[in-house]
Amino acid sequence: MFEQAISAMASVVVDPYLLGLIFATTILGVIIGVLPGLGATTGAALLLPFTLTMDPVHAIAVLATIYVSATFAGSITAILINTPGTSAAAATTFDGYPLAQKGEAGRALGIAVISSTVGGIFSVLILCFAAPLLARVAYEFRSPEYFALTVFGLSMLASISAGGAVKNLIGGIFGVWLSTIGAERVTGIERFMFGNYELYEGLHFVPIFIGLFAISELLVQSKTVDKIIKTVSMKAVKLPTLEDYKKIWKTILRSCGIGTFIGVLPAEGATVASMIGYSEARRWSKNKKEFGKGSIEGIAGAEAANNAATGGAMVPTMVLGIPGSGTTAIILVGLMVHGLRPGVYLFTEQVEKVYQIFGSMFVANVMFMLMGLYAAKLFARVSLVPTQILWPIVFALSVIGAYAFQGQLLDVWLALIFGVIGFFARRHGFSVAPIAVGLILGEMVETNLQHSLKMFDGAWWMILTQPLALMFLVFAFLGLCGPVIFSWITKQKD
Amino acid sequence: MKNIYLVPLILSIFSLAVIAIALQLDTSPEMIVGDSMQARSFPIFLMILKLILIGILTFQFYKNNPKPVALEKYHTWGSMFLFLLFYLLTVYTDMFIGIFVVIFLMSILWGERRVWVAFLTATITPGLVFLLFDYVLKIRFPRGMLMNLYYG
Repeated sequence: MFEQAISAMASVVVDPYLLGLIFATTILGVIIGVLPGLGATTGAALLLPFTLTMDPVHAIAVLATIYVSATFAGSITAILINTPGTSAAAATTFDGYPLAQKGEAGRALGIAVISSTVGGIFSVLILCFAAPLLARVAYEFRSPEYFALTVFGLSMLASISAGGAVKNLIGGIFGVWLSTIGAERVTGIERFMFGNYELYEGLHFVPIFIGLFAISELLVQSKTVDKIIKTVSMKAVKLPTLEDYKKIWKTILRSCGIGTFIGVLPAEGATVASMIGYSEARRWSKNKKEFGKGSIEGIAGAEAANNAATGGAMVPTMVLGIPGSGTTAIILVGLMVHGLRPGVYLFTEQVEKVYQIFGSMFVANVMFMLMGLYAAKLFARVSLVPTQILWPIVFALSVIGAYAFQGQLLDVWLALIFGVIGFFARRHGFSVAPIAVGLILGEMVETNLQHSLKMFDGAWWMILTQPLALMFLVFAFLGLCGPVIFSWITKQKD
Repeated sequence: MKNIYLVPLILSIFSLAVIAIALQLDTSPEMIVGDSMQARSFPIFLMILKLILIGILTFQFYKNNPKPVALEKYHTWGSMFLFLLFYLLTVYTDMFIGIFVVIFLMSILWGERRVWVAFLTATITPGLVFLLFDYVLKIRFPRGMLMNLYYG
């Protein structure tokens, strides 16, 4: 197994086509990351249709590369123009932009590049070791455990950073309901189809995701048309000095652990990881006063954590079929579309492909480091592409991408409808990621609940007698009610 | 009624409508469903859960009294109107005519003053995407005025 894994990972380096693909996708990922509003999730949603004719490993490598490179690239604009290219880079603006204003933009970017690379590579290594181990545990799972696990995954939506807990849960339930559209899997009864037989097999994820992430973002961006961007000039990206390394190595290591752990939690992602990484860097720092004024520890804390979350988020995605973030929800769809069924099967029958994907993520981390160091200044200019040119192009890519998935115009209309739904949801403070996660997990919840009921002759409470299922349900309960209970206890103590 | 309660109200009406539709769904014979649940049960359960959450959300709104959302400028509503225009043009003429018109008008609507830039964006983008999907990915586009000329 170990030798097989090593040789599969090494095969990425000797495959010129795959290397070229990762190189090109890294450039694209960095461009997507620096363009405010686009981000890893929108980029992956737009690119998914382009991967349909690719080999499965190449397709997932493309999506994973977009994920890691765009997550890093958000920091370039966060530092240079105080506008995070991705939400995961929001915490980087707190200290990155003040440092750039002091005339040390190159140093700030150097810290961000190195921290992101260490975070990304650390999480890929954890992914390589943790995923097969978790897959062994998952081998024991039956329907009650899977049902409880998906409930746990849905409960974690409550703690996604955007929106509030209640709004996120409403979005998640709406997503689960969307998964019930079409013929019911056991009885074949048509649900909410209104005579439209193109919906017989249910809503397909690709057009819905393009709508929710790309088209809704287009409408959100239409509000920023008049925004004026101020840039900070930069001479060159500087590598951190030995003094800098001494100051930040503990922060980077801490954030690597935080980011990977947060990433592994279902439905959490790089944004939450970077916020926690930043606040922990501040909490442990000896120079707390520097934070907010250009602290390199602040930049390192946020950047190492958000890239560490990328590898972490791939663990539940590939092992359990539960997305660790919005972008991994799209990667999960990519896996399904290409016949790579996430779960134990992937780690027993298709080990080579799994490790080739991990190897691709490793290579992508190294490539974005080189690009960050040598071409960040160039990429920063991309962010100045006028919105009135960029977003009409995104519209074209969205509608053609939605059509290309199945060759059905219905998918184009669905993408537009869900784009408008996503926009109104975001307008009123609802995040669209819970809808996407709910849509993916919906089928798993219902099917496993049905199977569990059959297993226990209709006695649903018997699910609670299964130790692992009970554990996940307790976690779900704590995830939902924990914050309320703890705040109540704290109030009582005060 | 305050505007802030409009969202919970719409969500509640939607949930009740889903429950009403779900109650009209066919039921399966006992021998097929067995000890499991009917096709209607799960969506109804979801909507009841959602109604409970909407209740909590309304209570939160009542306690916190959030500011009503400001109305967007014409760029946003105009873009949505362009989606409708895209639908009509795709159905009655051709998808690529729809894309060209929408890109061009969207660029102008969003503030592009150079008409030739908007025109070039509207021409080159769909052209390149078409070449990529048609030649490289071998995807056939829906028939319309332009595609009929191309496919014959």
